[in-house]
Parts: sequence; structure tokens; C-alpha cells
Amino acid sequence: MQKFLTPNIIVLDMDVSVTFTLNGKQVIVKAPAAKSLLRVLREDLGITSVKPGCEAGECGACTVLMDGEAVTSCLVMIVQAEGHQIVTAEGLVKDGKLDPLQEAFVEEGASQCGYCTPGFIISAKGLLLEKPNPSENEILEAIGGNICRCGAYPRIINAIKKVGGEQH
Amino acid sequence: MNYSQYVVHSPQNLNEALGILKEKASEIRLISGGTDVMVLIKDNIIKEKELLNLSFLNELRYIHEEGNTIKIGALITYKELEKSKVVNLNAPILVDASKTIGAAQIQNLGTLAGNLGNASPAGDSIPPLYVLNASVKLQSADSERVVPVSEFFLGPRKTKRAPNELITEIAIEKTKPGLYYFFKKLGLREANAISLVSVACIADLDQYKKVNSIKLALGAVAPTVMFAVKSEKLATDKQLDLNLVDEIARSVSEEISPITDIRGSAEYRRRAAYGLVYEGLYEVLMGTAKRVSGSFEGVY
Ligand SMILES: Cc1cc2nc3c(=O)[nH]c(=O)nc-3n(C[C@H](O)[C@H](O)[C@H](O)COP(=O)(O)OP(=O)(O)OC[C@H]3O[C@@H](n4cnc5c(N)ncnc54)[C@H](O)[C@@H]3O)c2cc1C
Ligand code: FES
Ligand code: FES
Repeated sequence: MQKFLTPNIIVLDMDVSVTFTLNGKQVIVKAPAAKSLLRVLREDLGITSVKPGCEAGECGACTVLMDGEAVTSCLVMIVQAEGHQIVTAEGLVKDGKLDPLQEAFVEEGASQCGYCTPGFIISAKGLLLEKPNPSENEILEAIGGNICRCGAYPRIINAIKKVGGEQH
Repeated sequence: MNYSQYVVHSPQNLNEALGILKEKASEIRLISGGTDVMVLIKDNIIKEKELLNLSFLNELRYIHEEGNTIKIGALITYKELEKSKVVNLNAPILVDASKTIGAAQIQNLGTLAGNLGNASPAGDSIPPLYVLNASVKLQSADSERVVPVSEFFLGPRKTKRAPNELITEIAIEKTKPGLYYFFKKLGLREANAISLVSVACIADLDQYKKVNSIKLALGAVAPTVMFAVKSEKLATDKQLDLNLVDEIARSVSEEISPITDIRGSAEYRRRAAYGLVYEGLYEVLMGTAKRVSGSFEGVY
């Protein structure tokens, strides 16, 4: 929205008010419409499990669930979140108890520095919501868009298999 | 990154969107899945300061079957194509290509219309759309027209779309059961990599592997995706054997006009094109290539 105060001073007020569900709770947030969901989550809503890495869709550190599907939150404008269900790693914790995936990551020691971990967990969660018993290949595909600079891949894969692949 | 400099319009229906586009035309940038545009915004290399957010136009979210044609609404994502029964049954090459685009996160956001709008010669959905005889529906507030996908692109980032037009639908032809098909691409890594070369092929062979007809489209080897017309002619009505596989692959590598860029040299692209076509046709010859079969084990 543009507000013209005087002919030569233009105040640009491009903030919009967006309502969406974050980890099961409705939130209303005011932010520039084109601001990324990643930045709004971190800077305006205090959700710090979503990490900025490349901010170009390539590293997966910012992955969230949008209506149950893994998406890179750096590529979503906050206006596009209107009316959607967003889940982050914080939202997987139920009544103080970690999600089985989070437990498995702990048990397997699937993180070193941990920067990539929430992104991997959310990507894996997206897969398991669609396919509770994924094949190894499906696991690899689901995390193909996530990068771990520490190279914890074998343990990450083991952790996901522990929750999803074990039944095979 | 100054997000505050953009005014975003978020129309709730197509008419409203076309109205805004009519007024703003080239002053406004369209955004669907955002997987290309958000990167441009981050890098601050987009000239328009207004964005037309198409993501609420739910009327463009459909896959319809109409006789021999499948109509795909502009907001359909790669993931939705992968899950669609009608696309899996009748145009599986588009499913195979979709699964190679970016990674899961990108497939959940990115759209076919966005790939066409982005108009990169390396757009991975485009070679499959060529061999599927796809057409692009362009709508403005006052008009509507349909352009064959093979005529839609004028060069890198250039299309026949007028500034007041939206891509609203992509129509593809069903592939006949029994036909062979393959989509192959070479990038610098498995996921999230721009193709150095991509190949889409649909081939009609008789039971003795004589080529009745063949379509070969290549990406990232010319200013736009191209049909390998000479090679298609060369192959038609010939008996497929190892010699012909080699001859066709060689012909393709000569017919393309790749450039050298940061991802690879022209010579490397020619060799890669040879390799991808050879591999695909070899699999057809050996009977290990996929055929349009009518079987589907997906979710929907
Ligand atoms: C990490 C990463 C990996 C990627 N990997 C691949 C890959 O492997 N292969 C590949 O081909 N691409 C890849 N891409 C590019 C991108 O994902 C695709 O081009 C995608 O199809 C774009 O769709 P979108 O809906 O996100 O487009 P947007 O970003 O919303 O738009 C893309 C372009 O199309 C225009 N546009 C959008 N909608 C319309 C419409 N309805 N009518 C007319 N114009 C429109 C926009 O103005 C813009 O110019 C990748 C991108 C990222 C970030
Ligand atoms: S920060 Fe979003 S994918 Fe890297
Ligand atoms: S644990 Fe450090 S980036 Fe993955």
C-alpha cells in the first residue's frame, strides 16, 4: 500500500498482515509481503530451528513443512503462507516429548555441528508422512536437497531408517 | 536483501489477476512457486518492483483428461504431476523429468508454468513437453491463444508471451501404450543442479525394433530446447541395432549447437549428448528401457 503524505514525500508501507498456522497455533504476523517465510520465522517469530544457509533453495537448512510437504522456507514469500499449516522442528515436540525422528537423530548421533539437523528432520518427516515405510532410495531422494557440511550422512540415513525403514 | 521495496499483489481469482496484469503489464513480475523469482529477489537482480502473486488462483490447480489430451493448470507443481494417475499412465516421461527437478522441496513448490515462464534453455520439463506435443495457453484480460511449446521460446529468457498475458494451462498429448520413452539429464550433482545436457525421447518401434517414428528433444545445447530433426529423420524406418544407436547419437551430437559456459565446454556437451542418447537408445534396443504400460503404483 502506498500512502502519499505530501507530493514529494512518499512513505512506502508494504507490510501485510498474514494469518497462518504455525506448529498447530494460529499466528498473525505483520511483515513486508515479499519477505521470506524463513526470515519471518526467525526474525519476527523467534523460530530459530529454521536455518539460513544459501537462501537460494539449495541447501535445505531452512526446510519446513507446508501442509505436510517439505519446502525451503527461503523461497516462500510470507504472503504465500496465508492460510497454510507450517510446521518446524519445534512443532514436532509433543507435550515435552521429542518426535521419534528427533529421538533417532539423538540416539544415532546424527549431528555434528547440528546446523543442518532441523532441515534433515523436517525433510524426513515430510517423507514419512507420505510413505511411512520408505525404501532406502526414497530416503536418499527425500534428503537429496539437504546438505550437511560436516558429512554426517551415514548416521542421518541410519536415524531415518530407524524410524521409517526398519519394518522392511 | 530489501524485501520492503516490493509491492505484492495477491489476486484471489483469475479475472482479478488478468485485470492487474493488463494495467501493469511489464512493470510487474509474475510469481508462482517462487523457486526462480525468490532467488532473483535475494540477489537483487529483478527490475520490477511489483510482484503478481499467482499462488491463490486455485482455479488454475487442476489436471483434466480430455480425449487424447491432458490439460494441466498453471499452478500444478512437479509433486502433483508425480502423484497424478492420469499423468503417470499417459505421459510418464513428464513424471520422470519432474522427479529430477531440484530436490523434493523444489518439486513441492515449483510449477511447469514457472519453468516455461523462466524460459531457460536448460529447463528440464521442456524437452519432455516438446516430445509430448505440448501447447501453452496464454490468457490476457481481452484475449486467449494457444501456442505450441516448440514455438513458444524465442531465445534464452525470451518467449512469445506478451506482458499482459499469463500462462494459464499446458496441454499435452497422451503417449500411446507400448511406446518407448526416456528422459536423461547430466548435471554436476544429483540434486539441485542445472542440466548440462538433457534429452527426452519417445520412440515407436515395431516388434522387431524397426523404428516407425521417433522424437528427440534436447535441452541446454542451443538457445532454446530443440528437436534433433535430422537425427529423427535418420532413424525413421530403420532397423535399430548397435550401429544405428551409435549413428543416431553421433548425429545428435553434431546437430546441436552448445556453448561453453561455467558448467562445461561446448565439446563436453557434445560428448555428453552423445552419451545420453546412446545410453537411452541402447536401453531401448536391449529391451530395458521403459515403455508406456498403463501400470501405476502411486498414491492417487
Ligand atoms: C535449488 C533449485 C534447484 C532447481 N533445479 C532445477 C532443475 O533441476 N531443473 C529445472 O528445470 N529447474 C530447476 N530449478 C528452477 C525452478 O525450480 C524451475 O524453473 C521451476 O519450474 C520454476 O517454477 P516456479 O513456479 O517456482 O516459478 P517462479 O519462480 O514463480 O517463476 C519463474 C518464472 O516464470 C514466470 N511465471 C511464473 N508463473 C507464470 C505464469 N503462470 N505465466 C507466465 N509466467 C509465469 C515468473 O515471472 C518467472 O519469470 C531449480 C531452482 C532451485 C532454487
Ligand atoms: S537457506 Fe533455504 S535452502 Fe538454503
Ligand atoms: S552436522 Fe554440521 S552441517 Fe550437518
